[in-house]
Amino acid sequence: MLHLQPHNLLIQKTLTEAIEAVNNGTPLTLDRIVSDFDYTTFHISNSDEEKSTLLLSVKTKAWASVVNCGDLLSYLQSSFTKFNGIEIPSNFENGYNYTLALDLKQLDQESVVQASLLKTMIMSFPFNLSFEEFNKLSSQPAPTTEYELNNINNNAPVFKIEYRDDENIFIKPSFDRITVIFETIFQDETDKILGKVFLQEFVDARKRNRGIQSAPQVLFSHEPPLELRNLSEYSNYTDISSSKRFITFVLFPRHFANDELKFKSVVQLTLFRSYFHYHIKCSKAYLHSRMRYRVDTFVKVLNRAKVDEEEDSKDADSEQHVRRTITGRKVVY
Amino acid sequence: MSYLNNPAIVMDNGTGLTKLGFAGNDSPSWIFPTAIATSQNHTKKTSSMSSTSNTTSSNQYFGNSTSATSFNSLNASMPLSNNLAGKRGTEDLDFYIGNEALAAAQGPSYSLSYPIRHGQIENWDHMERFWENSIFKYLRTEPEDHFFLLTEPPLNPPENREQVAEIFFESFNCAGLYIAVQAVLALAASWTSSKVTDRSLTGTVIDSGDGVTHVIPVAEGYVIGSAIKNIPIAGRDITLFIQSLLRERGETDTSLRTAERIKQEYCYVCPDIVKEFNKFDRNPDKFAQFIVENQEKTQKKIVDVGYERFLAPEIFFNPEIASSDFLTPLPTIVDHTIQACPIDVRKGLYNNIVLSGGSTMFKDFGRRLQRDIKSIVNNRIAQSELLSGTKSTGVDVNVITHRKQRNAVWFGGSLLAQTAEFKSYCHTKKDYEEYGPEIVRNFSLFNMV
Ligand SMILES: Nc1ncnc2c1ncn2[C@@H]1O[C@H](COP(=O)(O)OP(=O)(O)OP(=O)(O)O)[C@@H](O)[C@H]1O
Ligand SMILES: [Mg+2]
Repeated sequence: MLHLQPHNLLIQKTLTEAIEAVNNGTPLTLDRIVSDFDYTTFHISNSDEEKSTLLLSVKTKAWASVVNCGDLLSYLQSSFTKFNGIEIPSNFENGYNYTLALDLKQLDQESVVQASLLKTMIMSFPFNLSFEEFNKLSSQPAPTTEYELNNINNNAPVFKIEYRDDENIFIKPSFDRITVIFETIFQDETDKILGKVFLQEFVDARKRNRGIQSAPQVLFSHEPPLELRNLSEYSNYTDISSSKRFITFVLFPRHFANDELKFKSVVQLTLFRSYFHYHIKCSKAYLHSRMRYRVDTFVKVLNRAKVDEEEDSKDADSEQHVRRTITGRKVVY
Repeated sequence: MSYLNNPAIVMDNGTGLTKLGFAGNDSPSWIFPTAIATSQNHTKKTSSMSSTSNTTSSNQYFGNSTSATSFNSLNASMPLSNNLAGKRGTEDLDFYIGNEALAAAQGPSYSLSYPIRHGQIENWDHMERFWENSIFKYLRTEPEDHFFLLTEPPLNPPENREQVAEIFFESFNCAGLYIAVQAVLALAASWTSSKVTDRSLTGTVIDSGDGVTHVIPVAEGYVIGSAIKNIPIAGRDITLFIQSLLRERGETDTSLRTAERIKQEYCYVCPDIVKEFNKFDRNPDKFAQFIVENQEKTQKKIVDVGYERFLAPEIFFNPEIASSDFLTPLPTIVDHTIQACPIDVRKGLYNNIVLSGGSTMFKDFGRRLQRDIKSIVNNRIAQSELLSGTKSTGVDVNVITHRKQRNAVWFGGSLLAQTAEFKSYCHTKKDYEEYGPEIVRNFSLFNMV
């Protein structure tokens, strides 16, 4: 039901087809563009001479800010080269941020899925850094005084992913939690209202429904949360009138206890905005279908009141006596 | 605004197949049936379907479709229930599209429907959801960041355009929208053929898809609406014809799916049916065998393929084989269409007859068409020469086939949408808010050269 996969279906499909073609002895020549959420474009290509090696390049808005967080390149290299058939070329394709070289003869199912996760992997880097930072902070003795607590919180880094024009993700590790904050802004008035309902529902659903008590806590605010107050752009944020809203997810250690959970949390968070907008759009589609239904029933009522000219004249010809009821129905006798 | 660098999205929603992709690519990224499977029972049920479809490898809906028929073809075209009043839960979110829909409709809890009939959108509720899923799930794009190029059939009422605009601008907030006529895009796609020397937008397009076949004259990019003709013979009728032949012979498998595969793999157009019959009788290796495997690949059925190899596509040229109420052959219709156009464009129209759509893919279809139209034209010229006593300069009849023919409409869209000017021809969300849905009644034509 409206499930968005973490990996890019289209890349997976294209790679699967390419592998099949190579195995059948009829390799494809590819030069395709594939797109993904948040200003991400992939380019899948190979050269005529070397058809069994595909280049998968990515260009994404988030890249510049993610690269600033740390040593992204070696993180990606170590995450990808452990899979069969994926190599990192020495220089990346012109105009793109990163490139994977895929050897179609060695690629297996697992590596195809990994390659289609490329964008998620890039976005996951700052999350991974926060997990590391959390480990560091939590292994130190827990703060006992207000002063120590403030000290930790002021010194811990805040990772910022600038993944869209006016919307950023902030990740702040601490000694007992990791806080992830999304900025949201809506261009469209209807979206703004629907979005607000959704966001408040996020906050309330957890309180109401016992089944999801273990989900991360969600907060929704008009002002930047305390975690962001140290950042220069928010140190004296007074622009209450702006339509920017803040959604805070608080991750506790149980949400990233092992690698699988870490991956799940990261995937859910990186797809959060897309999900959110997808669902707003689905709600609008639902409203529209209700509206169409209403209009249809009104039209039916109107049609019943229509005077049927043609039959009138026929009736006049046969000189039949016709009377109408108030809703336009004919009474013939 | 970073969305300026995002590729435009080209969507061609046909009666049978939907072609989706990004501008600049040479083929659609996704081709799947324009089908939607919606939840039937109003009671809440466990979401077992969604979990199984994710685990049993996504392969079932990989690979581009060439067929819009469901696997068992029984429950196709169920009556659509539009009774929303009873729905209060999340049923509206419980649906599948494309190949996944065909798979889901095998089960008892989903019913399959095709929101497009004869090229035109019939069920807007279903179509809106179909688009929603194709944009977010299959293309993985945020519509706010992309421009869209959609296609419409010839003679689409302007109200339909407005509905489309309402959905795209109000539901999806898309950045910009261009709605192009399929025939014009098919003309643009023919520029890839080496036979086409001048890139003009004058020509006759024969667009034969799943539901209807249109013959559309286009002069300088404008469709001559009064002369458009359509023929109630298209892919689905040919498939049904093959099926009926298989049934008559009592073959072991006579499903629609088998008939469709036979059509696509074995059928061709012959120059002369009588000779072809003789050839088959003299030369038994013209008969083919088609092997049907069930989904688990455990059983095999062998279906013989006989005269239908050339008889099925022959319906276009001799409709009386299959139908009793429509009897005009396609070449005659093409000739009538062109004769109904203003005299000064007729030469250009004969000169550039462009094929588009899946049902024009039969081998030698173009060659036969060209021969037949040529003979009609030559007869007419000979007659007028006889009557007037003057010598005619002659008319060149050219039927263009090219490699992109099957998805010509999509490909033409991709060509146009990748040009630098494309965005300036679109109506943007801002325009829409300023002027309302009427703005999409007019789109300026590309002047591409
Ligand atoms: N190689 C082939 N030979 C014959 N028929 C084919 C071939 N490939 C596809 N078809 C048929 O073409 C039809 C689909 O064509 P297409 O995708 O152009 O239609 P559409 O755009 O969905 O419909 P329309 O344009 O009428 O709205 C199907 O009936 C399919 O069986
Ligand atoms: Mg079509």
